Amino acid sequence: MSNIKNVEVKNLNKSFTGVRALVDFSFDLYKGEVHCLIGENGAGKSTFIKILSGAITPDSGIINIGKKKYNRLFPAITKNEGIEAVHQEGTLVPQITVAENIFLGSEKSEKMFVSYRRLFRDAAEFMESLNINIRPDEFYENLSLPDQQFVKILRALIFDPRVLILDEPTAVFNINDIKIVTKLVKKISKKGVSVIYISHHLEEIAEVADRVTVLRDGRKVKAHNFKEESIDLNLLANEMIGRPVELFYKKKKHKVGDVIFEVRGLKLNPKSKEINFKVREGEILGLAGLKGSGRTKIARAIFGVDKKYQGKIFYKGKEITPNSPGEALEEGLCMMTENKQIDGLCMNASVVKNITLAGLDRFKGPIINLKEEARLAKKFVDQLGIKTPTLNQEVINLSGGNKQKVVLAKWLFRGINILIVDEPTHGIDVNSKIEIYEILTDLVSKGKSIIMVSSEMPELIAMSDNVIVIKDYEISSVLSESRITEENILLGFMGGGSR
Amino acid sequence: MKNITSKKDNIADRGTLERKRFGFIKNQNFFLIIIIIAISIITSFINPNFLTYRNISNILQQVSVLGIATMCMGLLMLAGQLDLSIGAMMGLVGVVFVKMVKAGISVELSVLAVLAIAAFCGFVNGIIVAKSNVMPLIITLGMLYVYYGLALYISDGRPNALGDYFRFLGQSKIGPEGFAIPFTVIVFLLIFLFAFAMNKYTKYGRRLNAIGGNRLTAYLAGINVDMHIISLYVLVGLIMGLAGLVLTSRLGNVRAGSGDGYELKALAAAIIGGITFEGGRGSLVGAFFGVILLGLIYNAMNVIGVSSYFQTMVLGVIIVITTVISSLGKRESSF
Repeated sequence: MSNIKNVEVKNLNKSFTGVRALVDFSFDLYKGEVHCLIGENGAGKSTFIKILSGAITPDSGIINIGKKKYNRLFPAITKNEGIEAVHQEGTLVPQITVAENIFLGSEKSEKMFVSYRRLFRDAAEFMESLNINIRPDEFYENLSLPDQQFVKILRALIFDPRVLILDEPTAVFNINDIKIVTKLVKKISKKGVSVIYISHHLEEIAEVADRVTVLRDGRKVKAHNFKEESIDLNLLANEMIGRPVELFYKKKKHKVGDVIFEVRGLKLNPKSKEINFKVREGEILGLAGLKGSGRTKIARAIFGVDKKYQGKIFYKGKEITPNSPGEALEEGLCMMTENKQIDGLCMNASVVKNITLAGLDRFKGPIINLKEEARLAKKFVDQLGIKTPTLNQEVINLSGGNKQKVVLAKWLFRGINILIVDEPTHGIDVNSKIEIYEILTDLVSKGKSIIMVSSEMPELIAMSDNVIVIKDYEISSVLSESRITEENILLGFMGGGSR
Repeated sequence: MKNITSKKDNIADRGTLERKRFGFIKNQNFFLIIIIIAISIITSFINPNFLTYRNISNILQQVSVLGIATMCMGLLMLAGQLDLSIGAMMGLVGVVFVKMVKAGISVELSVLAVLAIAAFCGFVNGIIVAKSNVMPLIITLGMLYVYYGLALYISDGRPNALGDYFRFLGQSKIGPEGFAIPFTVIVFLLIFLFAFAMNKYTKYGRRLNAIGGNRLTAYLAGINVDMHIISLYVLVGLIMGLAGLVLTSRLGNVRAGSGDGYELKALAAAIIGGITFEGGRGSLVGAFFGVILLGLIYNAMNVIGVSSYFQTMVLGVIIVITTVISSLGKRESSF
């Protein structure tokens, strides 16, 4: 980090039809520093980076880039000034290779034809220099989500940017991969690139940030310089939300009853050992494991989505082993899947239609009473605090947290006996997280049971009554009560038993 | 994608300005009604006979078979499906019906038989589409030739006159002299109401729309996706069987290619009406107006005296223009 300012923004204002998205926002960015932006969804982070990447025009304010002064930016200018943004949504071409994607539009070839050998070699060298290990000749669409994210970052780096904007680069990552990203970001900044880094994960911010600017309701709340002060995550969280908040959710204790649900002899492939476990009434059973350990596949097999090699499932002592989600739902076994944005919602359908989708059989006969439907759905919208202008709003327009709540409302409307949740709070802000925890806690206090797949340690530790750690499609350890610690879960990941 | 709920965030986080600006166009029905009214006014200035009861009832009669086909196509598209074989099915139904009646089989029995055949055609389409992972476009394109070829084989490639049988369905009118409504129009309106009500008010329709919106979500919500898709194709087959009978009765004769082109015009009408290929979006009311608009334009061109070759070209232009304009409203900023 040096004293040269790459970007300085003064008194930026932006309103959308009377609503102030950014208010007198000032921000600066030194050469080679990592400057994190944090704030809840809608705090103004996206508006700011859209202004900085030239997508939208500010109402007033000055943007200094290097020595030049601008009132507004255009994509062509930002490109020229060396500002590159990596957005959350995919903008690359799925059907071509990693190397082609990285060099798309900037192929180094004087001849008419692209030399693939050279392309692959250049890409490989480039990745090697950053310690990233992805095959350059692999097709983009075959990559895992984290690898796709890396390719997007690499593509931005090809242009040799002065400023790199990373908008929630780790939203799709688990803990291990997050480490790789943070390392990469540090490496990039050491080379003199200024990074604007946006994330919901405060632990991750603590790892990479030189400075942090906290945004709330379009205003800068506070700026911290971690060269001068130590990092207090609780303080940051408080500033983001505007009220004191517990980073670690404290679940209310309640009575856990008898065994109500049981998985016996589950095998996803012929070679692995049998998986057996029981869930009690009112219990939250955590299912931990690294990505690829099989925890999600196990959950999906229980719900009947994925095929299993063998295994039986019992509810209240009766075998129910579902072969499709439809069969699972008949017994009140519901599942909130991992990619809620992709497979949990009909994005173009209204909030009401999404909420009632799984529970249409609550209406007798073939006809849906639309008024009654709206009334029933409204109850869940109120109960879960789903923020939506009207019940007929298309869910695509809701925020991540509210989308998640609509998915939950769908199952609540259907009626839950056992709920499987996969990463229930992934990619949503702290406030929504806590609201989801409260809904889950409320469910178990009513005697329902939850199987919770999660890769977030605080979540597993705070919410679970028992934790099963999965490794290679097998149970590597079972933890309960005081033995549910980060250390023991990590040991489980490695395959060792707990101490 | 972060789209936030309160009004503030919703706008702040998404390039919704464009949406707002073209908001009125987004309401495709409103847009269509305006065009329909505009065309009616202009044409009636040029030719005062245009807005007479007789001509209006004429327009409705002309579009009734297309209207029935469009309702079928609309239902399919809302469920993320498509059936290009519906035109060929109509030809097949007509050819078989005439053969049966001429062979001395009673009209009632022949009607039941061809409806069963049409439903079976739909079943074949549905089961292949549902059980294979191939796009319905391709499957039903293939089935188009199967049904068309079968109809050619049965009819030996020759047109068959219906004779004096079965004029009622396609040629009779109901109501007082001067204000009689053609029976085909009544059939069309009944099918429209049936399809509309099924789509909007029944669990079955809701589930089909969910399948169109996001098939995986529908499956995870416990919906038997295959069963719904297959039954929809069967229903469409059945309705197209009826449409084939209406067409045969109206024309008074039939050949294997009688229904040629209906599938594409129905598709066009549904798209003009605002139903999208991606499924899950649009309404049958829009499709209804799309049909009326198509019929109106054809009729207006006839009334004004535009050559029929030129009319086909105009149809193409209309499809492109309406879909482009309605996509303006849906366009978002490049982020």
